[in-house]
Amino acid sequence: MRSRIARAAAMIAAAVLLLPACGGGSGGSVPTTPTTPPPTTPPTTPPTPPPIIPAATKADSFRFLNQATFGATETEAARLIALGDSSNSWSRWIDAELTKPASLLLPAVEAAYPNPVPSGFNIASLNAPRVEKWFGNVLAGGDLLRQRVAWALSQIFVVSQVGALQNLPNATADFYDMLARDAFGDYRKLLEDVTLHPAMGIYLSMLGNQKAVTGTNLRPDENYAREVMQLMSIGLVELNPDGTVKLDGSSQPIPTYDQTIIEGFARVFTGWKWTCPTTLPACTFNNTRAELAPVAGYNQVLPMKLYSVQHETGTKKLLSGVTLPANQTGERDLQDALDNIAAHPNVAPFIAKHLIQKLVTSNPSAAYVRRVSDTFNNDGTGRRGNLGAVVRAILLDAEARPAVTTASPPVAPGKAKEPLLRLTQFWRAYGAHSASGKTGAARNFSGGVNAVFGEGPGLSPSVFNFYSPGYAPPGEIQAQGMVAPEMQLATEYLNTQVTNYFWTQANSRTTAQSAGLNVDDMFIDTSEEIAVAADSEALVNRVAERLLGGAATLSPVLKAQAKAQIERSTSTNTRVADAIYLLAVSPEYMVQR
Amino acid sequence: MNNTRRKFMKAAAAGGVAYAFGRTPGTVFAQSVGIGGFGDYKALVCVFLAGGNDSWNMVVPTSTAEYNAYSVSRGGDAGVGSGLAIPKASLLPLNPLNTNLNGVTFGVHPSMPGMQTLFNSGRAAVVANVGPLIRPTTKVQYQTPGWELPPQLFSHNDQQDQWHSLRGKSLLKSGWGGRVADVLLPQTSSQQLPLAVSLAGQTLFEAGVNARPYVMGSTGATTFGGHGTSGVSLARRQAFQAVVDASLASNTNTVYERSFATVQQRAVQFADSVNSALAGARSFTALPDSGSTLTSLSTQLRTVAKMISVRSALTMSRQIFFVQIGGFDTHDDQVAAQTNLLADISTSIKAFYDSLAEMSMEGNVTLFTHSDFGRTLTSNGDGSDHAWGGIQLVVGGAVRGSLIYGDYPLLQIGSPQEVGGGRFIPTVSADQYAATLANWFGVMDSDLAQVAPSINNFAVRNLGFLT
Repeated sequence: MRSRIARAAAMIAAAVLLLPACGGGSGGSVPTTPTTPPPTTPPTTPPTPPPIIPAATKADSFRFLNQATFGATETEAARLIALGDSSNSWSRWIDAELTKPASLLLPAVEAAYPNPVPSGFNIASLNAPRVEKWFGNVLAGGDLLRQRVAWALSQIFVVSQVGALQNLPNATADFYDMLARDAFGDYRKLLEDVTLHPAMGIYLSMLGNQKAVTGTNLRPDENYAREVMQLMSIGLVELNPDGTVKLDGSSQPIPTYDQTIIEGFARVFTGWKWTCPTTLPACTFNNTRAELAPVAGYNQVLPMKLYSVQHETGTKKLLSGVTLPANQTGERDLQDALDNIAAHPNVAPFIAKHLIQKLVTSNPSAAYVRRVSDTFNNDGTGRRGNLGAVVRAILLDAEARPAVTTASPPVAPGKAKEPLLRLTQFWRAYGAHSASGKTGAARNFSGGVNAVFGEGPGLSPSVFNFYSPGYAPPGEIQAQGMVAPEMQLATEYLNTQVTNYFWTQANSRTTAQSAGLNVDDMFIDTSEEIAVAADSEALVNRVAERLLGGAATLSPVLKAQAKAQIERSTSTNTRVADAIYLLAVSPEYMVQR
Repeated sequence: MNNTRRKFMKAAAAGGVAYAFGRTPGTVFAQSVGIGGFGDYKALVCVFLAGGNDSWNMVVPTSTAEYNAYSVSRGGDAGVGSGLAIPKASLLPLNPLNTNLNGVTFGVHPSMPGMQTLFNSGRAAVVANVGPLIRPTTKVQYQTPGWELPPQLFSHNDQQDQWHSLRGKSLLKSGWGGRVADVLLPQTSSQQLPLAVSLAGQTLFEAGVNARPYVMGSTGATTFGGHGTSGVSLARRQAFQAVVDASLASNTNTVYERSFATVQQRAVQFADSVNSALAGARSFTALPDSGSTLTSLSTQLRTVAKMISVRSALTMSRQIFFVQIGGFDTHDDQVAAQTNLLADISTSIKAFYDSLAEMSMEGNVTLFTHSDFGRTLTSNGDGSDHAWGGIQLVVGGAVRGSLIYGDYPLLQIGSPQEVGGGRFIPTVSADQYAATLANWFGVMDSDLAQVAPSINNFAVRNLGFLT
């Protein structure tokens, strides 16, 4: 099994390497093998014509779009299919997405400031327009792939309004915008942008980090130094290029760093604080943010500035045996230290595996990780850390596209959808909107989106994200040594919250009831379902086409139960609600195959 | 039993603790364990202080030399306290009954009067310098390459996992609370709910090898809004269940679907039990249902108290509860932030204890804390960083209280267990701490190694803080 996968994988890897050449859409979808030895006898039959590659099916397109966007829709699937045969359509779609500019959050926060800002104004209340704008962007923004990748990155490079950023809504919004802008760019640039962003500076306390005071027990803060290595770049233990853990002579993992290296980076990250407004060019390290904020929100988004008086001047021990010399400038130390992290061989498999798990499958084969990791190290043009190329490699890999390649399916294809993506896909599929035009306002959720779905933008409970990449639920997943990270959120409690959300949405927040709803309530367009509500078969099929990408994928039991339940009621509203509810809360909709 | 008893006496001797037995020790480790189940009720309540509590500021030495060492280590002045050090005059005095303290005196953080009362009235104990260890470790051993240590010391998630799982260098995927549930499965099989319940989401602490915890909300279980008891809405519930059952039985779907279906099935099953039982729960003066704003922690603890009040309706004889309070990762602004957090802990735990007393259950319930790690004594300016050993609290009527267990170290850079930055090698292991709690709960001495895998590396298997 394993070798068959590996073989198939190797073939696909070869095909993927050719893709940049055929990304423009010209021929060449069938790789030719110029070195085939000539047959010893002339063929007695004419050469086999090249296979005709059919257009992508709707179900395949749904799978692709659930990996690459905030949820497949029939409209987007049709657009994808129209792009060409299945070997080209994915690639063309990605090409177009890579060039789309980022939809942003910051303008919505800025626009929400009252003018003038009254004294005692609750600045934290401006997190609400940030969350609403996020829903607007991921549901209907033009940059489908960019937003999905930004969301994945926001779970690796985590900041959150929960905690010290509560009263800095501009910073939290702009940090996410930065991830969206950098999503297809260069990893080293992303690392630097993250490091110097004041949102991260506040969240992991690099902002204001001071040098040691001789003769006292004051020394630099280790918070960012530790987490940038553990969570955002290399992880705790040395990895092979395929993401598997390297072992030493006694079969033990090899730590990537020790306390002395953390202290080295902690010393590098000293001396950075709020940048100066032009109105106060002589500002100092000791100025508070309020002193440097002539207008509300000012300088929450400008990169931090070095104040050399608080920068540690001694040597600094880094990774890979490097020690920075004493008396470099703080800027130089920072550049050297980020180069040192970004050059570590763990970065490629670490980032590759995290992104694969976020987008495609919880349990990628080592060969899949290796292929993406190789792309990280060299995008085909000699460039390292090209995240756009990494995303492309992830989505076009044989293991992400099994039906296209007819390769053996991987051991456990797909993943559990994140709870929040069950919602966004549903909302996208049903064109959800509110009368006010606001999207996803807090009143739609009891206690906020994270209280119902366990997640929300900029709402992580800690730098460790909403769930752990290593989580394995007890039972067969754990027994087989696999993981299902998103299942950490699938507790009895949260599952019930989510289930109830879908009931409320399907039963009482639809176009049919929209007149009686609050202007901020999101409602779904069920007119197509209402049109076929009298026919239970047609009704179930309509919902399955919308949510699952085809009635044929419905399991017989789900179909039979849904039909029987529909037939128990004569109310059009109840029939439609039951059809939508039973499918939306089913295990079949919860999985991303 | 004799074996356990002997080891307990050894523990007392090893710790140098002379117990002032306020109560007859005759019932020590009395267990009513039978094949058919327990004849009594006991609950363990784990209060997880997420982020790593700076516990050197929670229980602080107040005698002159020890306080001065503490204050200087924390970037403060000898005598008074500044930097991260809590001012000496503000500390609330503790009256430990220990006879082995050599004149060292202690106080609790000024925001913790509730904890002061609980300790001084014998209802709370302090376990000093406790943390994950595989075997007893000296500074020289710590510095010896190859010496067995829990991996990834000072890292949040790894050390949370160490506290919860006690896995050491193994790859255990279960938590010690979950393994207690595994061990006691034969005696608790008739309980309507899983032995372990979390009010704060999924936790490794409660994941057993076989036993699975139940995760409920902080105020109760949520019912299914679309599911009723008659007509179309009952049929909806049945259809929902039929789909779940079919998914569980399918061999053509994915592992993720089956895993999800398992949770859906349990959610339906347990929500009914919990909600019908909670409808008969009592109210508490100390944790009122309305009229006062409770913190998240006290809201969780109120629900725990209510669950305990309906234990009979749910046929529960043994329960482990998990609650959580976050925000302890005080790299920044520690003095102010920790004051609020410790005030919350103190107020909430005292109110929980008082609520238990209102229903005369205080002797049946033991509350204890876990946290990622202790923090560095040294300061990064206005906060502290990740370290290792720290202080945990144990509260309840069964606690042999007014005592400090383990060795409270001299809080000085360079002292015998200090390994840099004011990080302390624990002198009591998290395994010993867990084993003591598990032993009281009903886990036999012979099963302790299943709960606390490294316990056999330690001479003392039961720290003696529970009667």
